[in-house]
Amino acid sequence: MNDPLIDSDRFTADRQKYELTDTGFNEVPKKYRKFYRKWKGKGDELADNEVLCPVCLVVIRSARSLRPGDRVYCMPCMTRLTVAEEDGMLVARVVY
Amino acid sequence: MADFLSGYSIQSWLESCPQGYLEDTDYGHGAGEKEPEEMLGNDTFREDAIRTTVQLVVGERAALAASSGLVNAAPDDSSKMFLATQTLDEARHVEIFTQRLLDLGVRKDDLDSTISRYANPNLVKFAEVLLEKVDKKDFIAGVVGQNIVLEGMAFSVFEMMHATNDGTNPKFAHTLSGTIADERRHVGFGENRIGSLIKEHPEKKAEIQKMQQDMTYHMLATFADSFKANSDVVEEAHSQSSPDAKAAVYHGVDLNKADASEMEAVLSDTVLGEFKTRLGRIGLEYLSPAA
Repeated sequence: MNDPLIDSDRFTADRQKYELTDTGFNEVPKKYRKFYRKWKGKGDELADNEVLCPVCLVVIRSARSLRPGDRVYCMPCMTRLTVAEEDGMLVARVVY
Repeated sequence: MADFLSGYSIQSWLESCPQGYLEDTDYGHGAGEKEPEEMLGNDTFREDAIRTTVQLVVGERAALAASSGLVNAAPDDSSKMFLATQTLDEARHVEIFTQRLLDLGVRKDDLDSTISRYANPNLVKFAEVLLEKVDKKDFIAGVVGQNIVLEGMAFSVFEMMHATNDGTNPKFAHTLSGTIADERRHVGFGENRIGSLIKEHPEKKAEIQKMQQDMTYHMLATFADSFKANSDVVEEAHSQSSPDAKAAVYHGVDLNKADASEMEAVLSDTVLGEFKTRLGRIGLEYLSPAA
């Protein structure tokens, strides 16, 4: 498993890069805010660099496109997650 | 496990919460924000707001008693630290919702009698089921009851109330935003901490599932009572709302157009769906109160 939030070329050189900007999400310390955004409910389409935290329903954003097996961290609810593929979509599964 | 628990520090809480989204707030909302005049000037709407806010105070008082009681039952220091921050969060919620009762015109001398008059008996029983586990210092059952069942319910209720108030009552919507942010941490702690503990104590499952079943019964009865009590208010609010009002969408339902029974249905379905999913993730089976 790897963590695309850590910008390591070894894992992410062939992935699309995304410029993350502040989305107004204010539930984590300032330096981490660009990595999250509020989910707008059903119909809110996620980009290739985004995955929904199933615990607190916040969208986690990466600076690179995500792939199954990637590990992500949801700081608003402090949950560790693994990205998986389900019905052709990327989903996040909780790691206990 | 040590790394996972290390996130539950007072420092993290300080940076996210008081120095983050609560900075510059006044009882959870922007300084100077007030309840809308249209609501304060309408006795029906004002009484409905008081009745609803009383349920929030009752629920948060239970959460305060439970989280503070669980501090001494926690098996490790990191869980104690997290529950200490949660205790302050819950105390804040009690304070801000009590302040809202005062803002709605309840006199300080009448607070206790107002809360007694409007508190839903089923919500009181819901809290009693939880607090019985806390009193026995049953950490696993207490955290499931508090951080998954109670907080899971609160999370959905607050989200729905936020959708309703976002366009019409910015003061209350801002108050709710802060509590929703707090609830994210609380449900996260519940799932993450119990997800690992339940694997070590499978013998606890049946008792915890029975507690969830009892709490769910009282929760659904509370919803039924509450929506029945305000069905006339919902109709009056719809009749007075502007046809150009922005839709208040919650899980596909426009709350500005839905009647009380539709609101009850969407809230119950959402909360029960979340219970099933959350309990399933940590290895517990959801038991329907009808079973």
